[in-house]
Amino acid sequence: MLDLDMTPYAAFVWPAWGVSALVLAALTARAVIASRKWKRELAKFVAADSETDGAQVARSAVAPKNTEQLP
Amino acid sequence: MFGLSNPQRFMAFTGPLTPVLWGLAAVLLGAGAWLSFSVPADYQQGDTVRIMFVHVPAATLGLGAYAALGVSSFFALVFRHALADAAARAAALPGAAFTALALFTGSLWGQPMWGAWWVWDARLTSVLVLFLFYLGYMALRASIDDEQKAGRAAAVLGLVGLINLPIVKFSVDWWNTLHQPASFLTPGSSGLDPVYLPPFLTMLAAYGVLFAALWLTAIRTEIRRRRVMTLRARSAQEA
Repeated sequence: MLDLDMTPYAAFVWPAWGVSALVLAALTARAVIASRKWKRELAKFVAADSETDGAQVARSAVAPKNTEQLP
Repeated sequence: MFGLSNPQRFMAFTGPLTPVLWGLAAVLLGAGAWLSFSVPADYQQGDTVRIMFVHVPAATLGLGAYAALGVSSFFALVFRHALADAAARAAALPGAAFTALALFTGSLWGQPMWGAWWVWDARLTSVLVLFLFYLGYMALRASIDDEQKAGRAAAVLGLVGLINLPIVKFSVDWWNTLHQPASFLTPGSSGLDPVYLPPFLTMLAAYGVLFAALWLTAIRTEIRRRRVMTLRARSAQEA
């Protein structure tokens, strides 16, 4: 059974939980948005490149030959 | 394990793992929140005991994320490994956020229990220093245009900040502080009433899994960002 009556400490308990939830949600949203953005950028780059003569560049974007060192 | 230091293998391994971690974090957070408001209020602290279920995991992950940042910085600095540099960078923002949450929720717990929002005791001050290390790390990275130089300078700062971790952990043992000593990881037995263990452990696991999901996602994003930057530079050179 849930006990949601925090009297007389509601002014301390709810802000602690509320701000925690907001910050975790913001971290999650930021991570997902950034992930989608760079995934899209990479896909766009690869697609644009495969239409031109840059096939080697496109291949290296998907599976770079030298993967020991990131650029 | 060391095979994962290859970015391609890292991407292949973490690709299916990351959504699982996100899902598990959501389930654990939901269960943890439900359990946290199902247990009875503490006989001394009343309902403020429920702040513990968000405060302690945030503080633990604030420390854990910095340990991840510091170890990654070591590998980035010594072996000049770019994936380690990406891992250090990816740990900074979630770690700073968790540490800020620990300070904020601790302050909300301190006021009704101690009668003060803040005291300059060893535990609180060392956690504030930890937060400042996070801010310094991110500011240093952002202030240098050359990414390699920025990574090296920030890695040095990240390593220096590791000194603060044992100070945070043992501050309640080394000095007389208002903050209570460790009550869960106490040798022998837990000082925590058994009724609070299920919500506490569930929330701790939830924060841990969430950090893992955030960290892996951020590392994967950083790998993609660097690939795009390289490809842009390469195509600009070819043009």
